[in-house]
Amino acid sequence: MIRRKRWFQAGLALGVLAFAFGTASAEEEIRIAIKDHRFSPSEVRVKANTKIKLIIVNEDAAAEEFESFSLNREKIIRPGQTATIFLPPLKPGRYDFFGEFHPDTAKGTVIAE
Amino acid sequence: MLGTFIITWRETIEAALIVGILLTFLNKIGQSKQFRFVYWGAFWAVLASLVFAGFSNYLAVFFRDIGQDIFEAAILFLATGVLTHMVVWMHHNAREIKGELQHQAELAISKNQLWALATLAFVGVFREGVETVLFLWGLFLQGGAFESMAPPVTGGLLGIGLGVLMTWLFFKGFGHLDLRPFFKVSGIILIFMAAGMLSSGIGKLVTAGLVPPLIEPIWNTSWLLSERSFIGSLVAGIFGYRSNPSLIQAIVYLLYFPVTILWLRRQHHDLAQ
Repeated sequence: MIRRKRWFQAGLALGVLAFAFGTASAEEEIRIAIKDHRFSPSEVRVKANTKIKLIIVNEDAAAEEFESFSLNREKIIRPGQTATIFLPPLKPGRYDFFGEFHPDTAKGTVIAE
Repeated sequence: MLGTFIITWRETIEAALIVGILLTFLNKIGQSKQFRFVYWGAFWAVLASLVFAGFSNYLAVFFRDIGQDIFEAAILFLATGVLTHMVVWMHHNAREIKGELQHQAELAISKNQLWALATLAFVGVFREGVETVLFLWGLFLQGGAFESMAPPVTGGLLGIGLGVLMTWLFFKGFGHLDLRPFFKVSGIILIFMAAGMLSSGIGKLVTAGLVPPLIEPIWNTSWLLSERSFIGSLVAGIFGYRSNPSLIQAIVYLLYFPVTILWLRRQHHDLAQ
């Protein structure tokens, strides 16, 4: 029983810590549209080491899945929907993303500098 | 055509693996007349997927911004819960088996457990179903002329067919295992699946900005196994593998195992008294 309680307390502490971190610091907002199964703009430049809020608007009639292995993000965006994806502060570099449902055309890169 | 084939094939394998384990399990404990519970769960999941994908526009408010992530995280946490319950329960069943080399047993199963199986089948299929339906529906929309949309749609449907067939063949072989090793292997697969779903669920909340990643990425193993590769994408789908995970996802994944094992031990202990 004591063991269980400890786990619970550890979890709670982690949760509180997590919340404190999550609400802190400023963020950069980036907008990307999906049209004709392409990202526009397909290349976005962001400040390195700054939290990013990606807002993706799917203007197509078909759903798309935003996916990036290097950013560890995947999210389905339904037709006509606006999706928000939060990214952590990035180290300088190039991070590729693509639309899993139309990988031939829907390709893009986040460049952190 | 190949692209759509691979997507639906992978989604189907992920869903069919759960349904396959449930059916084989029921068969093993001499309860194959209860298959209908699993079929019901899967059937309602397909129906629910169609409704959820079809009513996209009406559910817009619900799914905009981060609504989608919260919804998916909830489904994943529910799946983790039912999977864990299933593992604990299989573990108990395994203890009831007397003989080492028993191939099949007659074990009792309660209504509650059957509903748990139905729920698990539902969640397992629904999780992949919505994505598959949205994907296939998108193909229909973009096609225009029949000639241009027929190949990808055919590819997509073939992918589903092959996924089901492969899982069926896998369980044909898997079903020949004796009871004990069967329980052991299924238990291990289910525990890894549950850990993967829990960590994916946390990942959804990180995407939504509700849970901080703490450190992201904590490591990068894309040189070793990339999600872009064939095997990598399967391992990612089934066991929640990520090549660039956040610290919080890694913690949750790794903590799941000792917590579940402690829980199993404790139940052992309770029963022994």
